[in-house]
Amino acid sequence: MKSRPRLGVAGAWLLAVALIGLLAPLLANDLPLCARVSGRWSFPAFAALVGRPAPSPDERSWKQWWASLPRGSADLALMPPWPHGPLATAIERQGEGPTFLHPFGSDAAGRDQVARLVHGARPVVLLGGGAVLLGGCFGCLLGALAGLYRGWLDWCLLRLLEIVHALPLLLLLLVGGAFLGESALVLLLVMALLFWSSFARVVRGELLALAEQDYVATARGLGVGGWRLLVAHLLPQLRGQIAITAAFCFASAVLAEAALSFLGLGPGAATGSWGAMLRQGMHALHGGPWHLWLFPAAAIVLTAMACHAVADRCRSGLRE
Amino acid sequence: MRGTPSLLPWLLRRLATLACCLLGVTFAVFAIFEYAPVDRAAIAVARQQADGNFPDQQARDRALQQLRRSPGQVGSSTEPLPQRYLQWLGSALPCWPARPDPATQRAWQRLAAALPRSLLLATLALGLALAVGVLAGTRLAFASGKPGERAASGLLLWLAAMPEFLLGSLAIFWLGPARLGLLPGAGLASPGAEAWPWPLRWLDLLAHLLLPVLVLASGPLVLIVRFLRDSLPRSAAAPFARQWRALGVGEDFLRARLLRNAAAPLATLAGSLLPMLVGGSILVENLFALDGMGHLALTAVLELDRPLAMAILLVSASASLLALLLSDLMHRWLDPRVRLLS
Repeated sequence: MKSRPRLGVAGAWLLAVALIGLLAPLLANDLPLCARVSGRWSFPAFAALVGRPAPSPDERSWKQWWASLPRGSADLALMPPWPHGPLATAIERQGEGPTFLHPFGSDAAGRDQVARLVHGARPVVLLGGGAVLLGGCFGCLLGALAGLYRGWLDWCLLRLLEIVHALPLLLLLLVGGAFLGESALVLLLVMALLFWSSFARVVRGELLALAEQDYVATARGLGVGGWRLLVAHLLPQLRGQIAITAAFCFASAVLAEAALSFLGLGPGAATGSWGAMLRQGMHALHGGPWHLWLFPAAAIVLTAMACHAVADRCRSGLRE
Repeated sequence: MRGTPSLLPWLLRRLATLACCLLGVTFAVFAIFEYAPVDRAAIAVARQQADGNFPDQQARDRALQQLRRSPGQVGSSTEPLPQRYLQWLGSALPCWPARPDPATQRAWQRLAAALPRSLLLATLALGLALAVGVLAGTRLAFASGKPGERAASGLLLWLAAMPEFLLGSLAIFWLGPARLGLLPGAGLASPGAEAWPWPLRWLDLLAHLLLPVLVLASGPLVLIVRFLRDSLPRSAAAPFARQWRALGVGEDFLRARLLRNAAAPLATLAGSLLPMLVGGSILVENLFALDGMGHLALTAVLELDRPLAMAILLVSASASLLALLLSDLMHRWLDPRVRLLS
């Protein structure tokens, strides 16, 4: 029996990045998680999480309201673990290096780097994760169909795989983003269009061997339908291979998003993704503050390294 | 030789498949660009606004209305799709009877001027990646348990995860004129190099090409080393290898033969690396200010030059498919089993 590969530090890092990316407004924000103003409860950080406009106590910001609260008042506010927001500028902290209060420093407008890093994980995780999920579902399905029912379907899929493989990811992202609009949806669809081919190739290759097994012939003879055969019997065996492909595709997505933002294109520039932070920091490379480019670069490189490490471990776990 | 199937039918079949795939990919790309449900006028205006062309909102609205009223300016046309597709495809062939429109002609001229530099860069990068990758891959494959192996694997992991633009920027910063001054940071020739004697000119060209080729080769290098590291130990455990060892054959001789066995799949891998080289060349050429196809791609995207973008896509797709065909040919030549069993 194959044992589960221990994913270790790399898996923990990926899990942390995924959680941080998905829950960013709840982890680092200058809006409180929940607050009671004059007896009424409100949840501004959760509103920001789902993209609604966040309620404010009155015309002032939350910090000012908290500062002007009289002692002994029944009003309270629970701040997120990191109480600074990614957009709160502070001119007095312009370009400051790492300090105790702001461990990753502040950028040229005085915004806290930790909060910007946390929020910058969101576009990366949503884009990469969404593309891998969409491409994975389609790719596994098409590859499974081609592997089970051979013939012209298999031939068509092989030609389609060749066609998709001939297109470079970055070029297609650039051209698609320029001519079809620079929205995250377009980038997600283009990435999914190129990722499905990896999944399809892997699933088809494995199923070509698996479909020759005795139990498949037995199941077919017993009248088990193709769908049930796939979902209940064959695809669960390919968990490891699909996970490896997903890890490599996610790494490609992270690096492609960083490259796109570095060239100044793509929606990451507006939402402040890691690639956009790196682009801003690269101007500082020549004699500027080192903390502006090192932390986003480290985030990108460590995430991609973790993906490759997880894939390598899964692969050596499969081989045993 | 009697019994060996000849090359020509196989080659003709593959060429026909290649032509089908090429038509398929170009038609798909063309149709997506023509029929995507996007507001082309709004995209063009948004790009112009990002460039700062509009002093106020009214100028922007006026430009938007003007573009909406005359759809020909943003590239829409009223002819049916197959006719437009054939016209565009025909503009790529020099012997097509119909003359393409001036924008398409200009696009092909720019591309033809930029292609040789990109080819030079890509060929050098692939050659370097193969040479260094085979050496490093064989050392790493047979070094399990040795002290340097974990460090080398860690270095490989880091190189795989490092974005090319970051690697290039750091290399330019540390090795270039800003810090150590060892290598130039941009361009293909130093200023005034045309007046130098040709040995110095070649050295100058080499110095300018070293960093871009190294950065571009990092992606394929990682894939080649990984492939050898995974496949060579497996073939070293094959029955024939055990027999040779038992017969007293030297380890080096055995490893050379194992590498010869791995050459065929390596050729297939090398042929599939072309899309990675094209994508990498976009970043590398823009970073090192080389006027190649990658730089032209970014220009096409920034200027919203549709004929140029489609021409670049066509050229890179055909180059990738051609590289796959060549690598299949190499595989067939290197591995007799493919010839005899097909």
